[in-house]
Amino acid sequence: MASERVDNCSSHDPLLDIDSSDSSSGVKSDEYLELQFRVFRLTFLLTIFSVGIAGFFWGIQASASLFIGALSGIFYFRLLARGVGRLGTSSKIVGKVQLLVPVLLVLVSSRFPQLELIPALLGFVLYKPALIIQFLIMP
Amino acid sequence: MDSITTAASVVAAGLAVGLGAIGPGIGQGSAAQGAVEGIARQPEAEGKIRGTLLLSFAFMESLTIYGLVVALVLLFANPFAG
Repeated sequence: MASERVDNCSSHDPLLDIDSSDSSSGVKSDEYLELQFRVFRLTFLLTIFSVGIAGFFWGIQASASLFIGALSGIFYFRLLARGVGRLGTSSKIVGKVQLLVPVLLVLVSSRFPQLELIPALLGFVLYKPALIIQFLIMP
Repeated sequence: MDSITTAASVVAAGLAVGLGAIGPGIGQGSAAQGAVEGIARQPEAEGKIRGTLLLSFAFMESLTIYGLVVALVLLFANPFAG
């Protein structure tokens, strides 16, 4: 009798249904991870395209600077996505560690004469067109 | 670089970072608050809410980055330095 009542509670009360809530949470995090991977893939494609264009028109130095800036942008976006993913679960705030990436990029670009500042900064913001395209394609 | 240019560059760098971080800071705080409330009310929409939050954070934080870059250029690669 008591076991029947427990069975009824667990089958009808969604708060007690631990298995289903775990699996739906897994689906949501998979959806978020899939979004991140799509944005990364699009950013890589845009990076390859822009590095080719820059190498053709402005030379290998600007192309290398653009590539390093794009890699920094991808790393920055990865850190930002990790901070947003942790929000509400293991952290109450979104960290600001990712802001160190553009700081280091500007410092490295200004210290090393092999790198140019403007192409590096343009490469850094390449994740933004990828984001815009991603959300225009799949709003 | 003469002393007036150096002083003006340092003051401008501080203003660029400080003033440029006010608006995005307020916006990110309210966006995060709304997203956490939304996830708490509708856990089934968590993936979409986090995706939208990521998009809005990326665009809001870019304003801070612009101010940061202007400040760093003024400090380390100043175009007005003689």
